[in-house]
Amino acid sequence: MKYDVVIVGSGASGGAVAYTLCKAGYKVAVLEKGRLIKREEFSKDELAYARRDIVTPSLFDEYHTIEEKVDGKWMATPTYESGWSFWNGNIVGGSSNLMSGMFHRMHPDDFRLKSKYGEIEGANVVDWPISYSDLEPYYTLAEELVGISGKYEKHPFEPPRSTPDFPQPPTKENAVVKLLDKSCKALDIVPLVTPRAVLSQDKGYRNACYYSNFCGSYGCSSGAKGSSREALLKPALATGNLTLMSNSYVKYLHTGKKDKVEYAVVVDTITGKEKKIFGKMFVVAAQAHESARLLLNSANRYHPDGLANSSGELGKNLIFSAGGSGQGELHEESLKEIKFEALMETGLFVNRSILDWYFIDHWWDGKFKGGSVEFMFEHQNIISRAHKNNEEDGRLVWGKALGEKLVKRFTQSKSIRFEIFNDWLPNDDCFVSLDETHKDKYGMPVGKLRLEAHPQDLKVGKYIAKKCEKIFEEMGAQNIYSSISSSPPQNLVAGGCRFGNDPKTSVLNKYCQSHDVPNLFVADASFMPTGGSVPYTWTIYANAFRISDYIVEQLQQG
Amino acid sequence: MGLIPYIEAKELSAFDNVFQKIEPTIEAVQKHMFPDGSKLPSALSMNVTQFLFETITHKSYDKDIRAFVLEGAEELIKREKGRFVSMTDREKEKALRAYEETNYGSNWLSRIMTLTMEGIFSDPVYGSNTKEAGWKALHAYGGLPRPKTRYIEL
Repeated sequence: MKYDVVIVGSGASGGAVAYTLCKAGYKVAVLEKGRLIKREEFSKDELAYARRDIVTPSLFDEYHTIEEKVDGKWMATPTYESGWSFWNGNIVGGSSNLMSGMFHRMHPDDFRLKSKYGEIEGANVVDWPISYSDLEPYYTLAEELVGISGKYEKHPFEPPRSTPDFPQPPTKENAVVKLLDKSCKALDIVPLVTPRAVLSQDKGYRNACYYSNFCGSYGCSSGAKGSSREALLKPALATGNLTLMSNSYVKYLHTGKKDKVEYAVVVDTITGKEKKIFGKMFVVAAQAHESARLLLNSANRYHPDGLANSSGELGKNLIFSAGGSGQGELHEESLKEIKFEALMETGLFVNRSILDWYFIDHWWDGKFKGGSVEFMFEHQNIISRAHKNNEEDGRLVWGKALGEKLVKRFTQSKSIRFEIFNDWLPNDDCFVSLDETHKDKYGMPVGKLRLEAHPQDLKVGKYIAKKCEKIFEEMGAQNIYSSISSSPPQNLVAGGCRFGNDPKTSVLNKYCQSHDVPNLFVADASFMPTGGSVPYTWTIYANAFRISDYIVEQLQQG
Repeated sequence: MGLIPYIEAKELSAFDNVFQKIEPTIEAVQKHMFPDGSKLPSALSMNVTQFLFETITHKSYDKDIRAFVLEGAEELIKREKGRFVSMTDREKEKALRAYEETNYGSNWLSRIMTLTMEGIFSDPVYGSNTKEAGWKALHAYGGLPRPKTRYIEL
């Protein structure tokens, strides 16, 4: 059997490519390392989903090594020692099952950051080979297919759109938005309704959100969340053209001839048996750091430095989302504007974001690229909230004092949070390569990640955090703090296979097709030379739909 | 106590052997941290020692931490010359706070606290949080649907 298209990975981008190709009548195989968990099998089991490696590999089996500078030398530590997992949901549908679904389009100027803001010393900023107008129709398509709810409001930094509004109204909101909106307005800040990949109304076989109070980190039990599995793989399977192979780990891609991938070498993770999966086209969609690793692990005599790596750029310029978060407590006795009972109502979203500081051009602060802000309640996980409140002055609180403290914390206050998303500037010390000694349980070299951030990222994050803290002060929150760090969020990763017009300086062309190997595409966030200042997922969906149309054209031409 | 079915079910492995020795110590620490008469349900009523044993022996649990749980208890036994379990509450408090002064002891106590909270506040399917008493105390309830099996074993 030779498939028209073989896709490695079933997350957001793999799902979008599978959907488009299957609908166009092509035979597609999706290879997913993890298992299938169906909608009706998901639960809100905190211990399993949030505290153990159950939907991600055990770090003793599969891991990364992380390079940090110690006394001027790069030292690599395996993640099974540090416990810092870089896996993000290895199940059918990938981490899109577990996302919070706060979605934003990138701004038109994010596609031309270098032209707009010029060079930044120590950062490898380049313009994209496509513009916002190339991607806009696909952002719109993703709104419809994935199901994004929201409410369009005009704002100087809200990207233009080709349709008047979102296909569905926003999800229901907690009363806290009254207080938040009022506080923002008092500070001349414009709060916007967050577009969310969560259905507020039924959509075909998917049911509206049921406000479970446990959305992010968990699979969705109504089908409301726009995961790849729910929104794209299900309809792709219904065409009869999709062969979905779960528990299938891809070791490497085999290129017999110099310019052609012939098959993927796949291990059945249950039986350990190896097999070859043949295809006309290969689409890598394993999440940025793993896609680069797979191509590096696919080196052979024709491609000694890794597949699609004639530029030497493969794995380079890995990016994350910079920024951080902050929190404040709203207490019963000092709550303004809204009733405490309404604040304590569970499950409803905060659904607010701020784009006011996306680009900063201020007489005193200067002109620079800023970022976006999302608001949400503190994650409602019970064990983790209890755990966060069991210390005082560096000592554990236990006994009756612990009972007093936890009951007070849980029943007389609720914490609200902000998360800042700003550009992680691509730089020479943030990349993925192959570890020379460490191998995973399948015998393949693990990815070695060097994760340095550019100092500008911290500066921008802190600038925005200060403004957000003011909002919380205005709201009357207590114990306000923020934490802006250069430590990367492992679930917001992109880059490593830059796209560009010049084969000497980029891995992929503007269709995310390898410059070197024409039947090889990378569909996930790897292509992004810069990341914008919003969560990636909408852009990943949109771009994958865009390149799918090109793959269809290529197949039509034979 | 609750370990007996495990002990009878199979030959005692080295791990079970060690755990049997340190079990009274771990239980005493858990009871001290979650005593009767608190606003939270007590360790005694929540079956937390059995939970801890089943949790650290599950394949999803980090094997290095599993070993640490045992070693830290052995260390506490040694520090207090075998007397910890028979101490008064006041003596236990003193002993544990002294243990907490060491980095090692502080990490271990924190681990026991975490493992106990994981029991009291996780879904009752895991054998603790009896009748959701942990959730009731905090007015915070796990989301729906609830797990039908432990650790997503479908």
